[in-house]
Amino acid sequence: MSFRDAKSTVEVEDLRREFKGKEGRVLALDGVDLKVREGEVFGVLGPNGAGKTTMIRILSTLLLPSSGSARVMGWDVAKQPEKVRPLISTASGAERAGYDYITARGNLWFFSQLYGLPSKLAHERINEFSEMLGLTDYLDRKFYTLSTGYRQRVTVVRAFINDPKVVFLDEPTIGLDVMTALKIREFLVKQAKESGRTILLATHNMAEVDAICNRVGIIDKGKILACDTPMALKRSLGAPALVMEMTPAPDSASLEPLGKLEGVKGFTSSIDEERGVGRVQVVVDSDESAQGALDFARKSGMNLISNWRQQTTLEEVFVALVGRGFREREHESPS
Amino acid sequence: MNPRASLWLKTVYARTWVRTKSIYGEPLWVAVNVGFPFFTSLALSLLYSSAGLKAGIGFAFLGGVMVSFWGNVLWSMASQFNWDKQQGLFELYVTSPAPISAILIGMSLGGILGTAPSAMTLAIIGWLLFAPPATPLWPLVALTFALTLASLYAMGMALSSLYLVYGREADSVNEALHEPVSFLSGVYFPSSLAFPAALQAVVLIIPLAVGMDALQRTLFSLNSTGATDLTPVYRDLLLLAIMGITLLFAASKALKILEEKGRRAGTIAVRQK
Amino acid sequence: MSYLSSIIASIRVGWSRDFGWTNPFLGFSLKTIAPIASTMTAVTVLYIGFRNGTSIASGQFPMLLGFILIGATLYAHISAYSWVPTLAIAEGKWTFVFPQVYVSPKSSPPYLAGRCLAAFASSTVTSVASFAVAIVLSSLLFGVAIPLVITPLSISLFGVALVVNILASMGLGFLLGAYAIFASKFEWALPTYVSGLLMVFSEALFPVSLLPHPFSDIGNVLPFTEFIRASRAVLLPLGSVSSYFYYLALSFVGGSTLLAIGLLAFRYAERRARRLGVLDRKVV
Repeated sequence: MSFRDAKSTVEVEDLRREFKGKEGRVLALDGVDLKVREGEVFGVLGPNGAGKTTMIRILSTLLLPSSGSARVMGWDVAKQPEKVRPLISTASGAERAGYDYITARGNLWFFSQLYGLPSKLAHERINEFSEMLGLTDYLDRKFYTLSTGYRQRVTVVRAFINDPKVVFLDEPTIGLDVMTALKIREFLVKQAKESGRTILLATHNMAEVDAICNRVGIIDKGKILACDTPMALKRSLGAPALVMEMTPAPDSASLEPLGKLEGVKGFTSSIDEERGVGRVQVVVDSDESAQGALDFARKSGMNLISNWRQQTTLEEVFVALVGRGFREREHESPS
Repeated sequence: MNPRASLWLKTVYARTWVRTKSIYGEPLWVAVNVGFPFFTSLALSLLYSSAGLKAGIGFAFLGGVMVSFWGNVLWSMASQFNWDKQQGLFELYVTSPAPISAILIGMSLGGILGTAPSAMTLAIIGWLLFAPPATPLWPLVALTFALTLASLYAMGMALSSLYLVYGREADSVNEALHEPVSFLSGVYFPSSLAFPAALQAVVLIIPLAVGMDALQRTLFSLNSTGATDLTPVYRDLLLLAIMGITLLFAASKALKILEEKGRRAGTIAVRQK
Repeated sequence: MSYLSSIIASIRVGWSRDFGWTNPFLGFSLKTIAPIASTMTAVTVLYIGFRNGTSIASGQFPMLLGFILIGATLYAHISAYSWVPTLAIAEGKWTFVFPQVYVSPKSSPPYLAGRCLAAFASSTVTSVASFAVAIVLSSLLFGVAIPLVITPLSISLFGVALVVNILASMGLGFLLGAYAIFASKFEWALPTYVSGLLMVFSEALFPVSLLPHPFSDIGNVLPFTEFIRASRAVLLPLGSVSSYFYYLALSFVGGSTLLAIGLLAFRYAERRARRLGVLDRKVV
């Protein structure tokens, strides 16, 4: 599906947000520009503290920006929140919000009333979405009796019950088992495709982004570093990564020249202690660069036992953009 | 019907439903909520009896009834938004088109309906056990009770906005407010017979104090002739009406201001860890 | 880690929790104001009874005021710390602290004992403060001088009674904790009932002899009743040191018995909860 011709439902221009904390000022968003189109599942991918949640909070009218503008369905989120709210909904993976002594159905009905839905319609939607998410048998149980996975399914149903045009989801599958996460992703894709909803999905789960997002914006330290389809982003590195295994494992000094080779964007090395084997993963921009890296390894006297080309992951894209992996955050910042 | 009015009514109904369903869905709540007020009323009744004032028993049990509502105002009205915020529910309210005032009214109605069974149970037990001497002026009692509850819950709404800002210490503030306000309001005794005039005038800013004074006068005779002087009652009723309207207005305005402040400072949503 | 070091660590945690305020003065005030108010409610009821009732002579009123001031303050003190174990368990289940404590080498009794002792310390401080304020307020409001015996001897003996009462309160705490281990909701309900019962049966506001038989007998065997009687014996002029030691001994025996029962009940509850798998069941 081409989204180029679809109208923009979310427009963000030079969005900034600063927080004043005990440690001083923190810039959570630093000039973000973004356009998301109708029917798109747009992933906002970044490590903890990158600014994902801050952006979601601004777009869902919970937070005012320090400067810049953000519009949802044409309405300004800062100045016209009352116009935005009937058109959106929001759900967070950390949430599991509900009233414990009310059934799941009762909770869902309650939230539907905050959007003025007729009860009959609300129950129809509850039944329909619960069926899709395998929640039907649990609807009449009290909320506090539900496991984490089922509470999250209730949260996701709640996010769609008011027929929103735009849905903001903040790590909706965090901490969930594989089957539940899969069911929720399938549901999201179906909602976007069949109902033309725009879904903005903030996550640090690359597999999720790869699986369901039409486009992804990679965010770090409050800035969008790249924005394109997952395939295009991976292709932007030029070529699949080269993986080499050698024994004995090479030391870091002998690997240093590898990073300076033409066409090599970066590399990571690790040791498989059990097998006594060193593994080097090289991010390259072309097949020629990969061959160059292979030749270097052989000429340096490394005893190569195997090598292969590996599909580039979004983490490698992130490494290439930022120079470090998701796990190498220096500090937390509020997002 | 006008869509805004329809949304307002649906929200009020839904929030009332959630609160009453939570309580009536767990009948144990009634027994739980009766316990402590009953023993307090019983202990104070025995104290009144030991002093030779049987009429005091009525004050003790009326106090137990009203303390049930006062406790509900503090713990389930004033603190509710703070707890909703901890659970991630408050931000769902803010991001929905539903007016916060409707949610507050729904909470109040739900609170009153939810507390009524335990309060009534306490009143009935007191009546059956002790048959306190009473000279009720029932129409006036009903009006006084309704106005007292209205202004009490309006105060709860106003407090809920304060708790949104100072929510961390909510439990401690509740504990600190509960007893002192009960004492100053003369929940278990007629303050007009105990407090000096200056103190009586000061406590008239507390809706519960005004309501208790009116209820005690309309239910029990406070003087030796057995007749009830209604002038203070009418004064109290007027005060309650004014307080109720003022507090409702203040609550609505305060929450709007705090929502705006919260959006600016980023404090509406508590980051869940 | 020895039992003692576990207890000491738990005391520190409990104290930080109770008094770890950013503004200690504010925290202290907030904790003191409720006991003052509840004591003042009781004495005001007595005053109204005295002024409008038929059973209290003028000369008796100041002594009765002292009687109630002591009883109401001590009742609030006992209530404040005897249900801390319940609170620690409920809160600990919510935060997953309790299961972690349970599986530690010394398990939960030293932790709960330490929390109880911390609450005893904080409650003693706030109770003494609220007692002093209540005396001043009562004197001002009712225009009487309250006949209290405040000497180094009476205070020391009172202090001993306070310490001896820890046995009973901790025993009650463990008994309530045995219930809290199983409760997944309303874990605070039973302590509020017990608190209410204590108000009636512990002679806090009136002699238990006013209660019809056999209820008065219940009051007479409670160690809390003996503790309050012992305190009145040294703090009020009509008491005597011999009656103080008599009540103190009963408080000690009753308290030790209650503590033994409480510990046994708690241990049994833990074993049973472990079998049923509810030790880490989340509370609602």
